[in-house]
Amino acid sequence: MRLNLRRFDFVLLGTTLALVVFGVAMVYSATLGVPTYEDYPLRQIIYALIGLALLMLAAAFDYRLLTTFQWPVYALILLALGAVTVLGQVRGGASGWFDAGIIFIQPAEISKVLFAIVFAQYLASRHDRLGKPQWVLGAFVLMALPVILIYMQPDLGNAIVLLVIGAVMLFVADLPWGYIVGVVAAGALALPMIYANLQGYMKERIDIFLDPASNPDASFNIAQALISIGNGGVLGKGFGEGSQSQLHFLRVRYADFIFSVIAEELGFLGAVALIIMLTIVLWRLITIADQARDQFGRLLVVGIIAMVMFQVIVSIGMNLGLLPVTGITLPFISYGGSSLLTLMIGIGLAESVAMRNRKIEFD
Amino acid sequence: MLAGIIFIAQLVRIQFVQGQGLRARADANRFRLVEVRGQRGVIYDRNGELLVRNRPSFDIVAVPANLPDDDDETRAILQRLDEIIVTASGANLPLHELAIADPPETGVAQAGQQGIPQFRERLSVDEAMLEIDAAMQGGAYRPVVIAGRVSAETAFAVAEQSHRLPGIELSVAPVREYLTGPLTSHLIGFMGPIPEAYVASYQEAGYRSNDEVGLAGLELTFEKALRGLDGRRNIEVDVNGREVRTVGDIFPSAPGNNLVLTVDARLQELMEQALVRGLEAAKANIGVAIAMDPKTGEVLGMVSLPTYDNNLFARGITAREYQALIDDKRLPLLNHAISALYPPGSVFKIVASSGALQEGVIDENTRLGDSFDGRVDGIIYVDNRFFPDDSRYAQPFYCWINTYGTGHYRITVREALAVSCDTFFYQISGGYRKTFEGLGIDKLVDYTKVFGFGEATGIDLPGENPGLVPTPRWKRLTYAETWSAGDTYNMSIGQGAILATPMQMLNATVAIANGGVLYRPQLVRQIVDTAGNVVEEFEPEVIRGLPLDPEVVDIVREGMWGAVNYPNGTAKALTVPGITVAGKTGTAEFYDPDIPLSASGRLPYHAWFTAFAPYDDPEIAVVVFVYNGGEGSTTALPVAQEILRGYFAMKYPTQPLETGPGEAITSTETLPGIETLITGTVPFTATGVSDGGGD
Repeated sequence: MRLNLRRFDFVLLGTTLALVVFGVAMVYSATLGVPTYEDYPLRQIIYALIGLALLMLAAAFDYRLLTTFQWPVYALILLALGAVTVLGQVRGGASGWFDAGIIFIQPAEISKVLFAIVFAQYLASRHDRLGKPQWVLGAFVLMALPVILIYMQPDLGNAIVLLVIGAVMLFVADLPWGYIVGVVAAGALALPMIYANLQGYMKERIDIFLDPASNPDASFNIAQALISIGNGGVLGKGFGEGSQSQLHFLRVRYADFIFSVIAEELGFLGAVALIIMLTIVLWRLITIADQARDQFGRLLVVGIIAMVMFQVIVSIGMNLGLLPVTGITLPFISYGGSSLLTLMIGIGLAESVAMRNRKIEFD
Repeated sequence: MLAGIIFIAQLVRIQFVQGQGLRARADANRFRLVEVRGQRGVIYDRNGELLVRNRPSFDIVAVPANLPDDDDETRAILQRLDEIIVTASGANLPLHELAIADPPETGVAQAGQQGIPQFRERLSVDEAMLEIDAAMQGGAYRPVVIAGRVSAETAFAVAEQSHRLPGIELSVAPVREYLTGPLTSHLIGFMGPIPEAYVASYQEAGYRSNDEVGLAGLELTFEKALRGLDGRRNIEVDVNGREVRTVGDIFPSAPGNNLVLTVDARLQELMEQALVRGLEAAKANIGVAIAMDPKTGEVLGMVSLPTYDNNLFARGITAREYQALIDDKRLPLLNHAISALYPPGSVFKIVASSGALQEGVIDENTRLGDSFDGRVDGIIYVDNRFFPDDSRYAQPFYCWINTYGTGHYRITVREALAVSCDTFFYQISGGYRKTFEGLGIDKLVDYTKVFGFGEATGIDLPGENPGLVPTPRWKRLTYAETWSAGDTYNMSIGQGAILATPMQMLNATVAIANGGVLYRPQLVRQIVDTAGNVVEEFEPEVIRGLPLDPEVVDIVREGMWGAVNYPNGTAKALTVPGITVAGKTGTAEFYDPDIPLSASGRLPYHAWFTAFAPYDDPEIAVVVFVYNGGEGSTTALPVAQEILRGYFAMKYPTQPLETGPGEAITSTETLPGIETLITGTVPFTATGVSDGGGD
């Protein structure tokens, strides 16, 4: 099939690149004057350039060829996740990193998009047989293995993201309602048990969200985030001028709490602009999924949508004090090479799907 | 889409609805009002010589927030720190001991000292752990002092090892440096933490509970003037409380004002050396020398021995050192010049003679003394109250000359002062048999009080003792006994129950020297600000003009002139080349259970001498007192002589002093700064006449 550049979604690419540039600028502001973080903006730029190259490569590549690599890719995911859990270096409390020279690769991040490929193919190829229990069970096992490995790192945030990607894809793949109700019921019943087995820091975060006064030291971060956002007002304090971020009252401001930095320094208008840009990206992705020529492409884009949307909601929701604190990054904006590469590969794959959609051409 | 709407709604809520409060919280996060210490004022002597200044001192502190969370690691750091401190300063920085209470019997409280000084000591590891735990509650960035006032060497040793001591910091705070140290300790005093009893009143005056204040001496009296005004500055801090920048001065700090003393540091030094020699010669260990300008009441020098080093207090005294000072029987912390009481002895005769002359009991030609009984033996008798006609019951009273087997015969008041005839003063005060009606105890008490005895002089120092003037009523209330003629006799020569401070003795002498004006002794001439502008000028303060006719004062002055200049005067040994001096010796019996009686069974004596010079227009008056020093003329007089010679040698440096003992203090070199002492340079004449100018 001929590659159709006119089907290439320039709005999606443009918005994505705008978000990435915006992110680099905010990472720069958030790390101003701190020697430890001095090279973060530059590293983010390098990641962004690599990401752009990968995006283009993925877009050019016919996504349908990916179906061939389903099982090797899945094996790669499990191998990488297993390896970091066992051998991986300890970085920031979680052992989720591979040291590839100057660049650290987080398999948990990459595995999100790779899993979407594997799972999309699994569901697409069994489209008309999904009602059968063995296939459903297979789907759950396929999902559970990487989720458990990521959870063990421990990285609750990405484990949940992966779970959400899988669940949304299952839902869109027309899984019979009976299963969905059953899973939700089982999940609700299992909730107290899951809570009991959560790692210490995870429980703490949930406790703090439910009762901020329970741990003054840890609720400090959430309180400071709200103060930062409130401090911003309509127009914000100005780029690099937010007192909350520049005086370091805001912690992890280059990643988890970067939304608060934006709201403080660029104000309500900046924050709303960001939300609008993210909405445009999601709108474009949904359009692409809707127009995908086959079930595999559709589900693949749905997986990417689930990833972006869930991370956006959780990250911003956490900054706004609506959701508990998790280590989930704000897509395209937060500092983090693996996360950025993963997202840009995802956009590239979506572009690949877009260029091969089923619209009839009249020219 | 829905999520986006929820987010924007929440943004509106946070940024607009709650915005005001959150912005205030953001400001509360980053702005801090900090106190900026105002430098304490310094102190100069009358010639502008610096006596007291400020210098930085190091405290080793722990900042709890920067210490490891782990208690064992913190303990290891404190242990390392303690080892470094012990290696660097060892016994110089002992472990913290329990606070020493101030036992009232030491007399420290009477000396005007408030509270306990700042001790130089370090916390043990256990104590430090407790303090750090406690500090965590109040604010983890508030430093805990582990070792205060450490030496520079110790501070550097700690700084060098700082990489091994996370959370340990050096904090620099200003402390006093007393350049003249022990020489002026009794005048200047020292500082320390606010005494517990006064915390509330100091805080009312705007002090913080950890401020240091003057505890003794001028540091205490002039606390208000010296104190620097702490300013407030608005700073921006980061999350660790570290200052990022200054936003603005809310109000600037202001340094305290400086004091210019009336004291001449070089005279003070000369006086101390003279007194030290005098004490050595008499094998005595307590002595006082004070010099005053009789025209103004300005104190030119004040020495009380033994002294102490107030720098000990400035650099932090160890509990052991302080205990040693308190336990010293000679009371080195006590300013004997104003806080200790002694019988005035014969110096008091100037009071008795003034009273008798003024009341017309005697005139300048009245001759009294012994030989009324036909014998010139220095003994007179007081008749027994109940058997006035039976001489067997009469009580004998001796003149000092009786030990030499003779008497003074009958002499006038001038001669009596010159030879210090006890008999004469017994008679003019208490009368003599039926032959002569004396001044009487009531009038004697009146004149005693007029001269300033029994009341504080009001000198600018804390802890002044008013002394004791006995009266018949006092004796009845204290001992349930009637006042006797013998009591009046004793009092007339400054013995018995009357007690005075050396300062009071000098003040009384000055009142005679200047023609009858009792001045409040002053130690501070001016309060000046840092720019040198005079904030307050202290004019001479007259306590009262003595109710004496000028002729009366002149007669007493002439008597004092005679003591020095008559061939048989008690102070005839005193010579100051080219200067006419007047003076009065005193040899005061006292009882001290620790001092044994002499071989002949007599009580020990204090040596007194007061003098003023030049006679015609006095510009200096001196009192010298030596505890258990023996005869005033042999012990106190040489000290006063050395002081007077030194004073005039300094004042007139080109005056050649050629003769004998004067050579020791001959000085022909120009002493810098002495010009300020001379106001209106008047050529000095050999007759001792100098108009001196008005100060």
